[in-house]
Amino acid sequence: MSDPLFNKVLVANRGEIACRIMRTLTDMGISTVAIHHAAESKARHVQMADKAVEICGETPVAAHLDMGQIIEIARKLEVDAIHPGYGFLSENANFAAAVAEAGMTFIGPDAETIALMGDKISARNFAEKHNVAVAPSVMPTDDLEDFIEKAADIGYPLLIKAAAGGGGKGMSIVREAGALVEAARIASSEAQRYFGDGRVYAETFVDHPRHIEVQILGDGKGGAIHLFERECSVQRRFQKIIEEAPAANLSSELRDEICTSATRLAAAAHYKNAGTVEYILGADGRFFFLEMNTRLQVEHPVTEMITGIDLVRAQIEIAAGKGLPLPQSEVRTSGHAIECRICAENPEQDFMPETGVVRHLGVPEAEWLRFENALTHGQKITADFDPMLAKLVAHGPDRDAAIERSIAALGELALLGVKTNIDYLARLINHDAFRTAELHTGFIAQHRDDLAPKALNETERAQILAAAFLGFRQTRDLIVGTPEPHAAIGGWRN
Amino acid sequence: MGFQLILDGEEHDVAIVRRRPHLVLRIDGIQHEFSEIGGPGDGLHALKCGKHPIDFIRASDNERQIIRLGGRTFEVDLTDPFSEGMESGGNMDAVRSPMPGTVVSIQCKEGDTVVRGTPLVTIESMKLQTVLSAMREGTVAEILRAEGETFEKDAIIVMLEPETEKA
Repeated sequence: MSDPLFNKVLVANRGEIACRIMRTLTDMGISTVAIHHAAESKARHVQMADKAVEICGETPVAAHLDMGQIIEIARKLEVDAIHPGYGFLSENANFAAAVAEAGMTFIGPDAETIALMGDKISARNFAEKHNVAVAPSVMPTDDLEDFIEKAADIGYPLLIKAAAGGGGKGMSIVREAGALVEAARIASSEAQRYFGDGRVYAETFVDHPRHIEVQILGDGKGGAIHLFERECSVQRRFQKIIEEAPAANLSSELRDEICTSATRLAAAAHYKNAGTVEYILGADGRFFFLEMNTRLQVEHPVTEMITGIDLVRAQIEIAAGKGLPLPQSEVRTSGHAIECRICAENPEQDFMPETGVVRHLGVPEAEWLRFENALTHGQKITADFDPMLAKLVAHGPDRDAAIERSIAALGELALLGVKTNIDYLARLINHDAFRTAELHTGFIAQHRDDLAPKALNETERAQILAAAFLGFRQTRDLIVGTPEPHAAIGGWRN
Repeated sequence: MGFQLILDGEEHDVAIVRRRPHLVLRIDGIQHEFSEIGGPGDGLHALKCGKHPIDFIRASDNERQIIRLGGRTFEVDLTDPFSEGMESGGNMDAVRSPMPGTVVSIQCKEGDTVVRGTPLVTIESMKLQTVLSAMREGTVAEILRAEGETFEKDAIIVMLEPETEKA
């Protein structure tokens, strides 16, 4: 066997993505280093790693954002490269620069590219310059009155967002002139609060838009390929919930046009790493550049499942200077994949985040199924981190099969002890409009009533109550009569 | 002997009618016979209701039973008959946080008269902001958390003056 591309890689992340990255690192014969806050010392990514180091911070999240501390650990342990995962420091240009300065490889693009794509305005200007379609817009300015005047000229509906933003914070849709002033004022104050930068930006809002994104790989020397598109139209508050690949009902001409435009952007930027170019697609077939994510995406497994390409491996190979894993002409897809994001939240209470303890975890297994997670029995689910707990990814020969398999797997999946959206996701995928792929980013709002749980009938209710009644010690003892020997020998029926 | 179980916020009566030869429970006035009752504790179990076998998963979380049955998850609580009195009136005085988080801003002060829906405090959890409002009309008695303070789920953030009997 040849020498590994790196000897030791530090994964500057946690949870399911840290585990997923370490899986590939281990496969490649690379030694792994995990970092963790004291609050997560028993976490799966800590157990999986060859070496784990505790990081300190005022909060667990602050610890994971502490660049100096992380780089110091990497230096001490003589790490060759750092993989940032997604979130945390993954799109922080300063971090990428600091890793390079410390003489290590950042498994991602160089700092300049991150900075270019990280700012909505510079990214948009770059896209426009390279013939990637952008929506008519108003450039941000500190002068709110000037902004409002120019925004009004574009017409409605209009999307207002924070210039420095991401993840839907500070975004709003303005449908009529009367609402513009107030919306601009709120967006600016939210932008200031969340990002420390009050500049806002407005563009044409595409009604019933679909969110289509293209997975690209760039070698950093102007070479780039795409691994086709994903559709992430099912969103709530601009956060993706269900992602699939390929996008349904996309003509091959349109698919080609979108994917080629993404490759063109990546090549022009001399992009190095895996990346995602996001677009909105209108019902009329017009598509506009949204942003580019310069990292591994949460939903990358759907692309891996249809192309058979390990994106983390590709990232590592590119970072090590091995170039692209294959030429565009050899990229093939097979079947359809759907990812569901499992979150600790209560869909029946406006998706409020939930906390709890994992009391039972039952995961279905099949060769067409991936359950990306870092859950352990007895694990506390706290508000310290993001509410996303896991991802369930199902592949099938076609979209209908992937839907059936997703519903079956969600039904079998049991995660008890914290409220989750598992049952909600099953209802969503089972909805007629999802099955027929009438997708747009307002899907969840449009079908809200249909997506509520069905009322229980009398029989179902009696079964649930009986199952619970037999579980409470107080009531079970009354039924069984002689209290504990049964439990001690482990079974009533045997 | 009868018990009250709470499922989806509603009370249900469950009583043991017979234990042998098969368990018979009266659930909301209707008798159900169970020829198999499954093992104790957490995990995958099977019930036989009449002739119908039912597989389910059960986990206990303190005083709560969590049941996964038919691809859906339910939480069931057993009410303690002695704490009944506290439930109804008491709860409406306390404005509790539905999730752990931080107080972003406070929109009321002690002594304020509020009506149902009056915004009291804005809280933030996992970057989502939520406004906690008064659940009834009344007077703000005490604000227990200051801006910037963190709290756990179900923590009391604001107390209203106890409701006085209306003449």
